[in-house]
Amino acid sequence: MDIPFDISSYLCYQEVAAETSSFKMDLDDDTAVITTLKSFNSFINRPELPQRLSESSAGSGNLQSQYKRRMELLEAAEKVQSKNRYLQLDLEKKQIEMSHKKARFELEKMASDSARDLEHQVDQNQELLGRIKRLENKETEAAKNLSEQEEANRNLRKNLEGLQKKLEERDAKLNAANQTISSLKDESRELMMKIRNQDSTISAQTLETQELQEQLDLQRRKYHEVSQLCQNLQAAESSCADHLFKIKELERRLVLQEQDIAIVKTVKSEVAKVPDLEKEVKLLRDDNAFLRESRENCSLLKEEVEGLRRKLERMEKIKEELINMELEKERVTEKLQAWENVSQSTGFNIRKPEDLSREVIQIQQKEIALKEQNYALNSRVRSMEHSQSELRLELNQQRNKTMEEQKKRETHDALVRRLQKRVLLLTKERDGMRAILESYDSELAPTEYSPQLNKRVKEAEEVLQRVQNHNVEMEVSYMHLFHRQKIEDLEAERQRLEEQNNILEMRLERHNLQGDYDPVKTRVLHFKMNPTSVAKQQRQQEVEALEEEIKHLRELVCSLQGGGAVAHSGSSSDREVGDLRKQIESSELKNQRLKEVFQKKIQEFRRVCYVLTGYQIDLTTENQYRLSSVFAEHMDDSLLFKKGSNGNMQLMETEFSKTLGEMVALHLHHQKSIPVFLSAVTLELFSRQTSA
Amino acid sequence: MTSTLQGITLKGSSELVADFFSFGINSILYQRGIYPPETFSRVTHYDMSLHLTTDVKLKNYMNNVVAQLKEWLMECTVQKLVLVITCLETNEVLERWQFDIQCDKSAKENCAPREKSIKAIQDEIRSVIRQITATVTFLPLLDTPCAFDLLVYIDKDNDVPEKWEESGPRIIDQSEEVRLRSFTTSIHKVNSMVAYKKND
Repeated sequence: MDIPFDISSYLCYQEVAAETSSFKMDLDDDTAVITTLKSFNSFINRPELPQRLSESSAGSGNLQSQYKRRMELLEAAEKVQSKNRYLQLDLEKKQIEMSHKKARFELEKMASDSARDLEHQVDQNQELLGRIKRLENKETEAAKNLSEQEEANRNLRKNLEGLQKKLEERDAKLNAANQTISSLKDESRELMMKIRNQDSTISAQTLETQELQEQLDLQRRKYHEVSQLCQNLQAAESSCADHLFKIKELERRLVLQEQDIAIVKTVKSEVAKVPDLEKEVKLLRDDNAFLRESRENCSLLKEEVEGLRRKLERMEKIKEELINMELEKERVTEKLQAWENVSQSTGFNIRKPEDLSREVIQIQQKEIALKEQNYALNSRVRSMEHSQSELRLELNQQRNKTMEEQKKRETHDALVRRLQKRVLLLTKERDGMRAILESYDSELAPTEYSPQLNKRVKEAEEVLQRVQNHNVEMEVSYMHLFHRQKIEDLEAERQRLEEQNNILEMRLERHNLQGDYDPVKTRVLHFKMNPTSVAKQQRQQEVEALEEEIKHLRELVCSLQGGGAVAHSGSSSDREVGDLRKQIESSELKNQRLKEVFQKKIQEFRRVCYVLTGYQIDLTTENQYRLSSVFAEHMDDSLLFKKGSNGNMQLMETEFSKTLGEMVALHLHHQKSIPVFLSAVTLELFSRQTSA
Repeated sequence: MTSTLQGITLKGSSELVADFFSFGINSILYQRGIYPPETFSRVTHYDMSLHLTTDVKLKNYMNNVVAQLKEWLMECTVQKLVLVITCLETNEVLERWQFDIQCDKSAKENCAPREKSIKAIQDEIRSVIRQITATVTFLPLLDTPCAFDLLVYIDKDNDVPEKWEESGPRIIDQSEEVRLRSFTTSIHKVNSMVAYKKND
């Protein structure tokens, strides 16, 4: 819509615009038309008054009125058109709304229909599901029934089988029973046979018993006869025993008689001695009388002697006591002297024992005092030790504190460094701010700012300077310390590294001298045919050759030791060995033969000696000879002779030699001749043997 | 061997050093009695009387080793030459004569001969050999049968020639070491030392 710049038309148009704006307010507030209209309105509303005055001065009223009327008509037409259009639009709108509503209605219907359909479907679904469930249940039930039926079937079949088995068993049993019956019948037949046989045997045996009884009678008769014979024998034996008893008695009597004879002989000899005895008796009686007299004197003398003896004893006792007393006296005098000397040696003024006791008491008191001092000193020592341990603890604590202090110092150092950095940053800030301030200063006049601010700035700068100086001083001192420490540490490290370097250089030199090498860079070669390997090979060969020789020699030695036939021919040593062996064998044979000959000769000689001399001489132990006589009454009767160191034979005591006491005395002690003794013994034994 | 040229070239220096080793090793073998003294003959060299072996096998071995050593000296790859004396019975090392060789590698590129008189070099070599003879007085006696071997320490990246094989360093367990004199040809410098087993 173009806006005409004619002011009058514009006014009319303004009215239309106002009206349309009322319509269009409902629909679109933000259209460009309205905004421009508004702004134009505002622009025109200001110089309103002068322009309206100019309007009324127009001379052309008719044209204007016509034009106005046309314009009004146009406008009215336009209005009508617009109204029509508006009504049309309204109608359209309403139609559209109606159609919308219809469409909505239809849609809703459709929706409801579809919802209803859906519900139907859902219901149908549910019904179907219900049916399905029911059918499933029926299925499961049917399956269960089926399974039950099957189980019943199986059970029935099992029962059937069981019953069949039982039937079969019964059949088998019946068969077995039949078999047993048949077997039993056979057995009964056999038993009958046996019975018959046994009857026959019984009869035979009764015949036998009869025969045996007859034999028994015979035997009994024999037994009677034999018992009678026994009795006769016993009687004879008893009579024999009686005879023997009688013989023994007679022998005893004989022995007694012989003893009596001997006694008689001795009595006779004694009787011959009687007159001599009578003489002796007389002499003895005289002696007796004399002795009785002297007895009394004796008793008197004895009493005197006893008295004197007692005196003597007493005197001896007294003497001993005297000697003891003298010894004691000497000892006591020594002690006394010693005691007196003590006084001289110890320097105390002692003459009496009281002095000594006094001195002792004094010494004891001194001792007590010293002990007290000792205890006091001990307690002091303990307290000192205690204080020392406390001091040590304190020292440790102090050390710990110093360590802590050091750590704190280190932290402070770190803080200082941080503060320094901060200071740097602050100075930079300050510089920046200063620059800004100066820039501001340069822009504006200096009189603008009050002199007080300048003063403050100056003061602040001074303070800052002071702080900076202080900081710098602190830094310097800290750096000194820091540097010093660093320097010391570095120095120590340098020295250590130098020492290590020296040591390593020495080691390297040593290794180089010994022949060490770096296998990465160096290789060690030698000639394959070098003298060492050649020498080793030769040595190996020599060793092998020697070992073979050793084996060979060992075999030889083994064979020689075994003593087998010399199989190796051609070596002289083997021949010698064979000769030596033969010699050994021959010499052994000779030895054997000589032994046998010697044995025989010796036995012969001994037998001859026994026969000729009547004595068997046995060598029992070293230098002891046992002689048993040929006429010895008992086996054990023997004489034992020992060869003494000087070569003489001595008779040792034996049971037998005790019985020959007379002959020993006569021949050995008196005549000193062993051969005579031996011959005498032989004669005696012989006589005994032949006479008894 | 005694060149008439003014200066010492790499080739000349290698020959001088190889000669020194040949005579030096012979002297050590004679002094320590590894081979019987009657198998050595006397020759004159370095203005002094030295011993040289007449044993054919030993001569062969020495020639092989010295020839190879010359090559290595020319290439400047050899670092040490070691004479090892081992006891045959116990197979332990009793003595170790070690010669360190330092080569001036710049002589390989630069072919100009160095200024050092042959006489001075020979004087130095003579003093070294005299000192070796003198050391025998304090070395312990070798009363068991011994054999010797020559080991060469060369750079790892060298190829191993035919007839040579790798070996261990044959270091003595518990040794005493003595440093001896050294000599230099201005291209090769040879340090000598001896290590022997301490007999407790």
